[in-house]
Amino acid sequence: MKRVIAALLLLATACSAPADEPAGTALRIGYQLIPNGDLIVKDQKWLEQALPDTEITWSKFDSGGDVNTAMIAGAIDIGLAGSSPVTRGLSAPLSIPYRVPWIFDVIGDNEALVAKKEITSVAGLAGKTIATPFASTAHYSLLAILAEAGVTDAKVIDLQPPDIQAAWVRGDIDAAYVWTPVLAELEKDGAVLATSRELAGKGKLTADLAVVRDEFADKHPEILQEWLRQQDRAVKLTRTDPAAAAAAIGRQLNLDPAEAGRQLGQLVLLDAAEQRSPDYLGTAEAPGKLAENLRSAAEFLVGQKQLDAVPELTVFQKGLLPNALP
Amino acid sequence: MNLALRLGAVLFLLAVWQVVAWLKIWPPVFVPEPVAVWDQLLRTSTEGYSGYTLAGHLLASLRRIVLGCLYGIGGGIVLGLLIGVVPVLRTLLNPLVTFVRTLPPLAYLSLLVIWFGIGEEPKVWLLLLAALPPVAVATADAVRGVHDDYLNAARSLGARPWEIPYRVVLPSALPEIVTGVRVAVGVAYTTVVAAETVNGVPGIGGMVRDAQRYNQTDVVVLGIIVIGLSGLLIDYLLQTLDRRLVPWRGRHI
Repeated sequence: MKRVIAALLLLATACSAPADEPAGTALRIGYQLIPNGDLIVKDQKWLEQALPDTEITWSKFDSGGDVNTAMIAGAIDIGLAGSSPVTRGLSAPLSIPYRVPWIFDVIGDNEALVAKKEITSVAGLAGKTIATPFASTAHYSLLAILAEAGVTDAKVIDLQPPDIQAAWVRGDIDAAYVWTPVLAELEKDGAVLATSRELAGKGKLTADLAVVRDEFADKHPEILQEWLRQQDRAVKLTRTDPAAAAAAIGRQLNLDPAEAGRQLGQLVLLDAAEQRSPDYLGTAEAPGKLAENLRSAAEFLVGQKQLDAVPELTVFQKGLLPNALP
Repeated sequence: MNLALRLGAVLFLLAVWQVVAWLKIWPPVFVPEPVAVWDQLLRTSTEGYSGYTLAGHLLASLRRIVLGCLYGIGGGIVLGLLIGVVPVLRTLLNPLVTFVRTLPPLAYLSLLVIWFGIGEEPKVWLLLLAALPPVAVATADAVRGVHDDYLNAARSLGARPWEIPYRVVLPSALPEIVTGVRVAVGVAYTTVVAAETVNGVPGIGGMVRDAQRYNQTDVVVLGIIVIGLSGLLIDYLLQTLDRRLVPWRGRHI
């Protein structure tokens, strides 16, 4: 219901004013509460300091699906969405005019498959009930790992993280693919069968990606570059001064710095130089392997009947925007 | 004449919808064309969506509604009779019924999930809690509103005390109770989408939610139309039942 209302509100903003033409220069950012560099930039107000003449607004989103909706409405310029929603956004019929200029984080140990203690392998999940929030990166990872283990008769159901915790305690589900903080609760009396970090090693990479509206990237390349510089600075801070980075993230998430630091450590953060490597964004001439990851996510979505057809690899290669990297 | 007018109104709405979709004021993700929704009707009816056909989704929801309403109406009539007849219970229970009635269902759904799990129980409980208060309130008011003349007339004609509630109070309260039932079914119908936000597939609300998650607006629109039409049909059936059950409505004997 909340989502429907959010969508209607976005629709209302979309029709009340041509939302893609804000007065003066403005940068409208859609962020999510994920312990990565974006929250450091927000907490330290680096963008506001670096771009004093730009009006910057931060809007919180709960899922990549909502970020897609806002992008279609032209209500935000830069947003954070998981690789699954971005795959849907780049594919027909949505074909949202946006590109990926930055990888916020590669999902590591913060998303994992946990099962009741008596289940010791993924193959043991045959015929069991497994919960995951649908349309998320965790959903994609779960389906990938079940396919790899040849499990075809597991009952996969759609639950949000708090409901997963309730269902787990009551014994309604046998396993769940979910992220922190609910993941930490489940680990207390369950066994981790696989993590997204292991899956990434096998080529089934999931990540939290930045998306920038094409029109904005073309019109304000200097703002985009400044935005990227600040993101790069945040990633470097997590390496040079992890305590300060954890404190900043902790403030944004209402966590104590120790816990924020632990959650930050579960993600894989990449600086600009690493993102330029062929494994990730690559270069404009040679688009990186992230495009292949997105295409393989599209194959799964077709299997789920959430997409009609798998787009060409070039669709995803054009969806990357590596040349703006600092 | 009436039918032609209604048909005309529907056609006019469809035309407006088609024109708006053609003009492309908003992207098709916001306003899908009527044809796209029609295609989805055919696809979901044959291939299915989220693993179940449209009929499967609708039947699952209707089953929850029927169960929740039966329990809710049964409980509501009993509770309403007690509140209406026993003054002590009226003082005790009236605030409670009003309290539950004003709560939005989404507020206590999470609690029901913790108590009853993610299967059918929390959904039926939610619909029960939604359907019960309108019936209870209507019944209590109706029972208290029975004219003293009826009771006195029955007594002076030799009715036994235990015959009074069954022979006089209930028939005279029935029209209002049936109105309460109609309201209750309506409330339950609007609550079913909320009930299906947690593990709601199969279910028409679960289908709409799934489609919304994937920005498949044509399926969302289809689901909303199906919910609306089936709601109209149910209300029509209840009106027919009303005429059969209480032909004396509006007439004073």
